[in-house]
Amino acid sequence: MSDKLYKIYQDFMQQGIFMCFNGPLSQNLMVEIGETVKQKMELAEAGTSRISKVFAIMVEQAQNILHYSEEKIPDRDGAGAEYELRFGIISIGYADDHYFVTCGNRILNSRVDTFREKLTQLQQMDKTELKKAYKEQLKKGPEEGSKGAGLGFIEMARKSSKPIEFNFQTIDEEFSFFSIKILI
Amino acid sequence: MDCLEIAATKYTPAIAFDNKQHVLEILGKSYPENTVAFYEPVFTWLEEYLEQVEDNAITVNLEIIYFNSSSAKVLMDLFDTFEEAAEEGKHITINWIYDEENESALEYGEEFQEDYEAVIFNLVKKTE
Repeated sequence: MSDKLYKIYQDFMQQGIFMCFNGPLSQNLMVEIGETVKQKMELAEAGTSRISKVFAIMVEQAQNILHYSEEKIPDRDGAGAEYELRFGIISIGYADDHYFVTCGNRILNSRVDTFREKLTQLQQMDKTELKKAYKEQLKKGPEEGSKGAGLGFIEMARKSSKPIEFNFQTIDEEFSFFSIKILI
Repeated sequence: MDCLEIAATKYTPAIAFDNKQHVLEILGKSYPENTVAFYEPVFTWLEEYLEQVEDNAITVNLEIIYFNSSSAKVLMDLFDTFEEAAEEGKHITINWIYDEENESALEYGEEFQEDYEAVIFNLVKKTE
């Protein structure tokens, strides 16, 4: 057997990642990941406020995968949401005095510009502006096609202790890989 | 009309709406996958109740340990419903119950409180 898995393990250790999941996600799996991360952070005496922020950001990111990842089976539309599985990566770790929650999933290339614009705006906002954006979005309600309140990214930015980081990598002519990192 | 009782799960709160005592309680965590579907029966019950209720004082106790962003929208819709009923003359008191150690629970309570005038919106520190 090759040492590939050990190389991945070493890479996680170097980055400080203590929880990582890649594959088809479900609500129940997310709940258990969240509970385990909470317990790990409690044992590390991370503090109530920090634990609840990491938990909340993990939930927002995981539910984005559950609702919007374009990597899914069955891949045809209208197959029925109950049987549908959507794929993504979540990793949680600690490095340089901060916890981080990183999430990645496939999105349509046609969504990249909209995402980039929204996230760039959030990057530039201070706490007061983020609160204002949150309340405005709350009152405005979700956009068409949204399965939530359209608040997820704003909520993450509000709980983040540094500006949010994000990246897009083109996969092919239809899809890109979108990733987002929040430091707490 | 019956009372509304929904048992808590790991990611949905316990709901106990009592139309005899006029006490409506939501307690626990709220981060279902499909928030709108989960709260639909709650709003249906509430609309019927608010149409029937007369001069009774209504108490709403909310102790929500954690809620996701789509539940935030539901909470706002809930408060809007109470606000509207209060504007029409109903006597409604909302108690937002928070744990002192949970900073964000108080912050969210304060932010909601800012937007309502007709309902009485109290921030209540939880006592053991």
